[in-house]
Amino acid sequence: MSDRNETLAARLGEHFGERLVRVESRIGELTYEVDKADLVDVAMALRSDFGFEMLMDVCGVDYLAYGQDEWTTASATETGFSRGVEREPVILDESDTFPPRRFAVVYHLLSIQNNQRLRLRTFTGTENPPVVKSVVDVWSGANWFEREVFDLFGILFEGHPDLRRILTDYGFIGHPFRKDFPLSGNVEVKYDAEKGRVAYQPVSIEPRTLVPRVIRDDNRYSADLKDRPNG
Amino acid sequence: MGLIDDRFDKNVFVTSLDFLFNWGRRQSLWWLQFGLACCGMEMVAASMARWDFPERWGMWFRPTPRQADLMIVAGTVTKKMAPLVRQLYDQMPEPKWVLSMGACANVGGPYDTYAVVQGVDQLIPVDVYVPGCPPTAEALVYGLIQLQHKIRRTSTIARS
Repeated sequence: MSDRNETLAARLGEHFGERLVRVESRIGELTYEVDKADLVDVAMALRSDFGFEMLMDVCGVDYLAYGQDEWTTASATETGFSRGVEREPVILDESDTFPPRRFAVVYHLLSIQNNQRLRLRTFTGTENPPVVKSVVDVWSGANWFEREVFDLFGILFEGHPDLRRILTDYGFIGHPFRKDFPLSGNVEVKYDAEKGRVAYQPVSIEPRTLVPRVIRDDNRYSADLKDRPNG
Repeated sequence: MGLIDDRFDKNVFVTSLDFLFNWGRRQSLWWLQFGLACCGMEMVAASMARWDFPERWGMWFRPTPRQADLMIVAGTVTKKMAPLVRQLYDQMPEPKWVLSMGACANVGGPYDTYAVVQGVDQLIPVDVYVPGCPPTAEALVYGLIQLQHKIRRTSTIARS
């Protein structure tokens, strides 16, 4: 399989040149990074010239806290404790810009005729709100995927025919998959007997660290600890 | 008149209207099925051949709230769903009962999140909570027995 992937990678490199940048993959999968200005052209070429007729998924990614653990576990077996990492919410004004590698949109492609898969990643850049071009004209299946990414990450898709929220509550404010969105949300619902309907109120539950604590390195037998006197 | 001689002595008994009403109500609980998540599977399993308790006890699923006495909220109630839960509850005729099935419907379960109601009792009054994730069919049956006990102890025809 990876031989066939490498053959495809060679063809892609020949066709697109510098426009596609390969992302290293340890298991031989094909992942390419593409500039968002080239996205629609590259997508169209992949569909028509390389047989990627199916768009399996469109994902948004928020790289705000990428690489930071929720728990400080590396030294946990030495010190005995590890605590959930406190994270301050990042609140941006409308005028602020994002770091250039904050948001990405990932397209998962499948070629049924060639039995091959390919992944495209494009970063949205510093714009606030983040905008990329819609690929609905290339794969019409992208319609709801892009609505989902818009709903959860607030990434706008230029040229999308009907960019509405798809999953969250009617009238929801915010984009819950952004890493600076509090997991417990900002509002909760409760039945209001006076008004006779279900009404919103500020949230009363606290956010908490939900990722299970995993101790990755057992430091109990490390040389430093062995030499340390008991107590 | 030999036909009805001695018949009334053996066949008539006297009871309170409360008992009669409560007996009828608890033996014919018709559910509004509200399967929202995986608990719905257990609710269906409880009604199938192995347990078969609805038909044994005169209960059955109703497709409309206007025919239902009991709402079984089985699963995660999202905030988007919340007004609908309340609306369907309001459409049920009195007297009506609510059974909250599973951790999500009881307290929100593992989802302390922006999308999930932290317990269906924020929206509608709940009579019986069945714990579990999901509760087994036996647990649901036990919860319904508890509800029947509760109905039997209800002392007035009008619901307080």
